[in-house]
Amino acid sequence: MRMLLSGNEATAHAARLARIEVFPVYPITPQAPMINSIVGFIDRGELKCAHKRMESDHSALAGAAGASLVGARAFTASNSQGLALMHELLFYTAGLRLPVVMAIINRALSAPHCRFPDHSDAIAQEATGWLQLYCENNQEVLDTVLQAFRIAEDERVLLPVMVNFEGYILGHTKEVVEVPEQEAVDAFLPAYSRAVVDVEHPAAINTATNGEIYMEYKYLQHRAMQGSLTVVKEVNAEFAERFGRDWGGAVELYRGEDARALLVAMGSAVSTARIAVDEMRAAGQPVGLLKVRSFRPFPADEIRSVAAGVRALAVIDRDIIYGVGGALHREVQWALAGDAVHKPVLSYIAGMGGRDISVADVKAIGQDVLAATEKGSVPMGAHWVGLKADLVGEAK
Amino acid sequence: MGEREELYRLPREELLSGGHQGISGYGGTIAVRQALKALGPNTVIVVPASAVATVGGLNTSTAWRIPFVHSLFECAPAMATGIRAALEIKGKTGVTLVSFAGDAGSADIGFQSLSGAAERDEDIIHVCYDDEAYLNTGGQAGGTTPAGAQTVNTPQGKPTGKKDLLSIIEAHGAGYVASASIAFPLDFIAKLRKAKERKGFRYLHILTPNPATWGFAADQTIHIARLAVDCGLWPLFEVEDGGRRVTYAPVRRVPVADYIRAQGRFRHLTGDQIAAMQAQVDASAGGGR
Repeated sequence: MRMLLSGNEATAHAARLARIEVFPVYPITPQAPMINSIVGFIDRGELKCAHKRMESDHSALAGAAGASLVGARAFTASNSQGLALMHELLFYTAGLRLPVVMAIINRALSAPHCRFPDHSDAIAQEATGWLQLYCENNQEVLDTVLQAFRIAEDERVLLPVMVNFEGYILGHTKEVVEVPEQEAVDAFLPAYSRAVVDVEHPAAINTATNGEIYMEYKYLQHRAMQGSLTVVKEVNAEFAERFGRDWGGAVELYRGEDARALLVAMGSAVSTARIAVDEMRAAGQPVGLLKVRSFRPFPADEIRSVAAGVRALAVIDRDIIYGVGGALHREVQWALAGDAVHKPVLSYIAGMGGRDISVADVKAIGQDVLAATEKGSVPMGAHWVGLKADLVGEAK
Repeated sequence: MGEREELYRLPREELLSGGHQGISGYGGTIAVRQALKALGPNTVIVVPASAVATVGGLNTSTAWRIPFVHSLFECAPAMATGIRAALEIKGKTGVTLVSFAGDAGSADIGFQSLSGAAERDEDIIHVCYDDEAYLNTGGQAGGTTPAGAQTVNTPQGKPTGKKDLLSIIEAHGAGYVASASIAFPLDFIAKLRKAKERKGFRYLHILTPNPATWGFAADQTIHIARLAVDCGLWPLFEVEDGGRRVTYAPVRRVPVADYIRAQGRFRHLTGDQIAAMQAQVDASAGGGR
């Protein structure tokens, strides 16, 4: 059925179709409309699920972890301050190998206070052991939440998954979304029941460890994260076959044919960049677009292989790692580090705190990267798109 | 039935087996042992960072014979909330679910999730085992450390008093609230059995003296715990649906000084200070609260 849905509502429909069983959650702007939608489904008898009204984001993820230990399909949602508050629970959930799925309606972090979107909230959690998938539109949000459960619950993975989409830009903006039928989703996503906590089979969960086993435990976790890349791709391919929508798996190359340079982006900037690339192509400029859908696991090999045919790349980050630059740029550089041929990788910081990333912004980046294919060298450091020079004391 | 006979009728099975790593004379593991006599094998226990979280064993060995979940510090009742929700949705009934937290995990760093679970009337039993200091990190003072007690970070004695968590949880409207002592195991076990038969949020707070931080010999734990009750500083009572009942009243209260002078942590207190404590106890009716 085609419906007009915000990203929050699309997530709620995905949660309903996934037959989530326990939903412990704490409201935070701009995620709260999703709670209302899911509670509505439960109230109307369309979803059999325990909504637990927790007293903090920290407790929300603790509740989800507890539910997952008993073998229930657990789902929650948060962002920014809430996600930061969950920080230690993120390590805990991943360490216990619990397939919890969490929607992150990306929002900037304080200080200064800001309720508008960027990716810094999730990027800051990159080392916690969660898979991180990023969406460019509301259809992808719905489809990715469904895929996330399949990926997380796969015996080869058993790791928690974050599904990221920017607040307001996707979270509150309505788009036409194809909502699949329950039977089709049931066939794609079977019921989950993997109880670790069970009075019939007592086990001790999270016993104290030391150097004797901790390191091997962590190695297995790392190996599972690396291996999850295959599962991300497999699940996307199966989803595409069943539902007719292919989101590219871990990465998607758009208009890569004969491209001399590639733009690289995550999230809603990808859909903007598609328009920019189309316009540049129409003007005869050979620029392609690489959408990174999976930030964790990071598809380094695929990126290296896709980039093999181009002479330069430009990475657009909606995040900042202070003193380093954009996280996606850092990862792309790392992916290309082993290449025999050095190619320039330009870095752009854009759209922080909800500032718009326009088609014109992306086209200007496209011109830069095309110019870099001629020069072969790039300036050090990131370029901050649309920075107000007078506000930072750098006015000419 | 006499006390001795009642003790003999307790289950012999130890659900925290021998070989655990609790230190000699530590009240926390004594409380666990007593509690499990009442709770039985059909129990899931959630323990946040605390002494009891690590006594079970190291790496792949464990002394727990029931499902044991070591939660993070702040969130044992929140994890229990999720566990209960999942048990219910999966149709698993008849499971007793306990969050068993120390004083820090209940009164201080864990207070938010405890308060949330109490307010939501979650179907869990929370036991606070109170050793009146942070043991895992060497015995620092916390919210339930009593006034005057010397700890590693209150060398002059703690200047503020003990947080009254029992009253705070009672004020949440919990259906069952009770104090307990490891020196009165039958009282504790009877309370847990009563709690186990009820639904909703239930709260028990048991005083668990610790030789090293309180300053007494390891064979004196039960004696110290008994003195706390017998001098009137730690009255035993229960509040069931708002109705308060004293469950044990000492025939004759012993002087507070007997309790205070038996512990190294109070060695610096003057006679006047102890007399003031005695006056406070005397002012509360019958040694109750």
